[in-house]
Amino acid sequence: MPKSNGLPPGTLILLILRVVRPGPLHGYAIAQRIRALSSDQLSVEEGSLYPALQKGLANGWMKAEWTTSDTGRQVRSYRITAKGLKQLETEQVDYQRMADAIAAILESP
Amino acid sequence: MITWFRRVWYLINRSRYERELVREMSEHRESMHDPTEFGDTYRLLERSRDAWGWNWLDDAMQDLTVGVRTLIKSPSFAITATLILTFGIGLNLTLFQLIRVGMLRPPALHDVDSWVRFLRAEPQGTSSTVAYPLTQFVKEHSDGVLASVVLEYQSGIAWGRDAEEQVNALFVSSNWFEEVGYGAAHGRVLSEALDGRADAPVVVLSYAFWRNRLGSDPSVVGRIAYIDRQPVTIAGVAAAALPGLDFNVPDMFLPMLQREYFYPQSTLLRSWSDEAVDMYGRLAPGVSSAAAREALRTIIQAAAAEHAEVKKDEWLEPLLASHNFMRDSERQAVLAVISLLGALTTLVLVVAAANLGNLVMSRATGRVRELGVRMALGARRERIVRQLVIESVPLVAMGALGSLGFAWAAATVIAALGGFPPYMDFSIRWGTVMVAVTLALLSLVVVGLLPAWKIAQQHLIDAVKDGGQNVSRTLDRTLMRRVMVVSQVAGSCLLLIIAGMMIRSVQRAIASSAGFDYEQAAVLSMPLGRYGMPVDARRSYWYQVKERILANPAVESAAIVTAAPLGGRVNETNYNATPGLRTLTQSVDPEYFATMQIPLVSGRLFTANDPDAVIVSRRLALEMYGTLDVLGREFPKSAKEATIIGVAADAHSIKVDANDVAELYRPLKVEDFSYVELVVRARTDADRLLPILREAAMMDPRVIPATRAMHEDFDKHMQGPRMASGLSAAIGLLTLALACLGIFGVVSYGVALRTKEIGIRVALGAQQPALLRAIVRQVLTPVFVGVVIGIILAIPAGMVLQSEPFYLENADPIAFAAALAVFGTAGAVAALWPAFQVLRSNPVDALRHS
Repeated sequence: MPKSNGLPPGTLILLILRVVRPGPLHGYAIAQRIRALSSDQLSVEEGSLYPALQKGLANGWMKAEWTTSDTGRQVRSYRITAKGLKQLETEQVDYQRMADAIAAILESP
Repeated sequence: MITWFRRVWYLINRSRYERELVREMSEHRESMHDPTEFGDTYRLLERSRDAWGWNWLDDAMQDLTVGVRTLIKSPSFAITATLILTFGIGLNLTLFQLIRVGMLRPPALHDVDSWVRFLRAEPQGTSSTVAYPLTQFVKEHSDGVLASVVLEYQSGIAWGRDAEEQVNALFVSSNWFEEVGYGAAHGRVLSEALDGRADAPVVVLSYAFWRNRLGSDPSVVGRIAYIDRQPVTIAGVAAAALPGLDFNVPDMFLPMLQREYFYPQSTLLRSWSDEAVDMYGRLAPGVSSAAAREALRTIIQAAAAEHAEVKKDEWLEPLLASHNFMRDSERQAVLAVISLLGALTTLVLVVAAANLGNLVMSRATGRVRELGVRMALGARRERIVRQLVIESVPLVAMGALGSLGFAWAAATVIAALGGFPPYMDFSIRWGTVMVAVTLALLSLVVVGLLPAWKIAQQHLIDAVKDGGQNVSRTLDRTLMRRVMVVSQVAGSCLLLIIAGMMIRSVQRAIASSAGFDYEQAAVLSMPLGRYGMPVDARRSYWYQVKERILANPAVESAAIVTAAPLGGRVNETNYNATPGLRTLTQSVDPEYFATMQIPLVSGRLFTANDPDAVIVSRRLALEMYGTLDVLGREFPKSAKEATIIGVAADAHSIKVDANDVAELYRPLKVEDFSYVELVVRARTDADRLLPILREAAMMDPRVIPATRAMHEDFDKHMQGPRMASGLSAAIGLLTLALACLGIFGVVSYGVALRTKEIGIRVALGAQQPALLRAIVRQVLTPVFVGVVIGIILAIPAGMVLQSEPFYLENADPIAFAAALAVFGTAGAVAALWPAFQVLRSNPVDALRHS
């Protein structure tokens, strides 16, 4: 069983799409970036990362290709596709709506 | 769609993709400060696969492998199961092949939708042939209605310089090949331009004749051949694929216009009363068959105004090629037969599948413990069902493959034995494969899905505790198992009864209930018209020959007849007063009845001066007038054509195995002597008559006689029904074996499950008969129910089988009784065998082991 990383189900792919939007990143960098952007609040387990990346590939939201990293390693970079951008947009809207709804309930007197 | 494509692409390149993923993950691991945190690469790999949605396929492949492995481990089960399905599906495929090729597809003619056959019809009934001059009259006046008129006339002729061989020739109109749309394999075919004249005699050989008799020698084209001792040029060999308009392909084709070259005195092309040729035609574009019928009616009326032989109320009834040139009643009969055969072969498949389903279920009950463990480990019921179904897939697949081979072999054998024309191609097509796959999937439901579903319904987890005994016992008693036994018993019982009916009807025909005595009779034919003999001379020649033959002491009696029993060419009429009854007319000598041993029920025989007298058969009298008291009445009922002077016993001399025919006898007219035959009855042996007849016929050395013993014709006639009843008996017995195997399996499995219980009963002093009853009781009810259902279904089936082309006697009590006796014996053996086995092996021992 994968360890829980505290993320609601389905949000991981949203985060991944978001962090690769500015430019292609490889798997390790994606994990690093999510951790950094969340101020170390969110850590992505590798056990969840790779299945999520495969899901992105299978649905055509991302494309992967082998490149050489800054450190000279052979790495596989994930680049968001047009379809992925659209997906990101919808998911972001959905997530926002959900978060607002939850917040509205929590903040109610 | 693109996502789907991407997934398939992934599946195809899966190993490459996975290698890349492993490499990517190991790079990732190396970049980490603490690589041990990464986790197990292979578990991640497995979870990543989920994303592509192919896990079910992996599971299925695993189950399939397990299924194949189980089959390899028990080869006897695998072979039995494959054979059962091969038989069940294969029989259906064979029928499909026969129907596809031979029955439901119209002949492969050029522009087949425009083709029609014309029957000559009048209010009293229809007949199949039309006078040649009338066809020409119609042809000249039918512009805009008919695109063409095509004619044929079948005739036996002598082949070879000394006329040593009798062959089957078709005289055709010169446009025949052009309209049918086939060319020559060698040389040329007949054509309007080259063969429209009567003075350049040519013949076109059929492909089969050229191959079988002339050794496929292409140099025969242009050579001289002899037909009835007349020289003709072989113009060519017809294409192998050439279809016949009337199912048969003859040995050779001759131009109809050249008929008088062979037979200078033939009246065929000139006589308005000689209804001789088969008339076909092609409708002009946009003309429906109904419109053509009405348009031609006017033309016939115009012909009737000029020629007294044509009646004013006559018309030409068109039959469509897309209906295989069949009358509606004939079509319905054929469709009924096809549906019945389809129902029977489906039944065989049901029996086979039910049998195998039971076998599979018995085998699976041995595995309930294993399945229980799987469920205890978290497998869901659907998963168990899926596993069991997929394990049956290799079985069904092998059965489907086997059935394709079976169908190919069976259709080929049937085509060879039945003498089907060579243009009928029985090779396996995609359609056949699709039917095989469909039937295989349907069998999978019975063989795989039903047992699996039933097993998965049980409390499998409990089975882990008691070794599966309880679950096995519940499964053994399920309704489904009993239903499967019932359907096997009912199916095989029905098939046995039908096989019994068929065998009995062949027996009946052989036992000469045909109503005439063929065994001591021989036939002489000599087409005198062919030798330029005038009509009157023909008659006296025939009578002289008859006198010479009667003078021989080996001869008991002789008679002249237009169509000898078992092979003559005869006019068929459907009178309106007797719907559904075909009346076959023969013109006969008074001695005919004595020669063929047909008794006269009442009245008298023809005398020398009786031109308008007829003798009707018993059946015709009963069906047309409702009484046998018909002497002196008009015939037919609605018209004053003739007077009835006698009633003869029924004698299906032309269509031996038919039960929808009646006979009508007329006195011989002078014109009849162009195509009469002589039937001769021997005092002892018909075969000894043949040289006597030949010698007597050759008074004039030009004459080419043909002789045959009637029992040979009879054997030829019976070949088809004999084959059909043999086949159905074989199918019935095989199905019986299946059903017995099913009963045997159910009882022996029940016994195996209850050995302990039986042991206790024996130890407590139970008697053998009581024990046997207790053991067999399990199958008794389903077998009984099955037999009853089988008998009930046999009654309507028998009613259908009464009609064309089976002519069985419905509700034949002997067939029923014989089938039940065979079934009862075999079924009892199958049920009692395992019961005796267990009692003999001392079941008390079983108690000590546990």
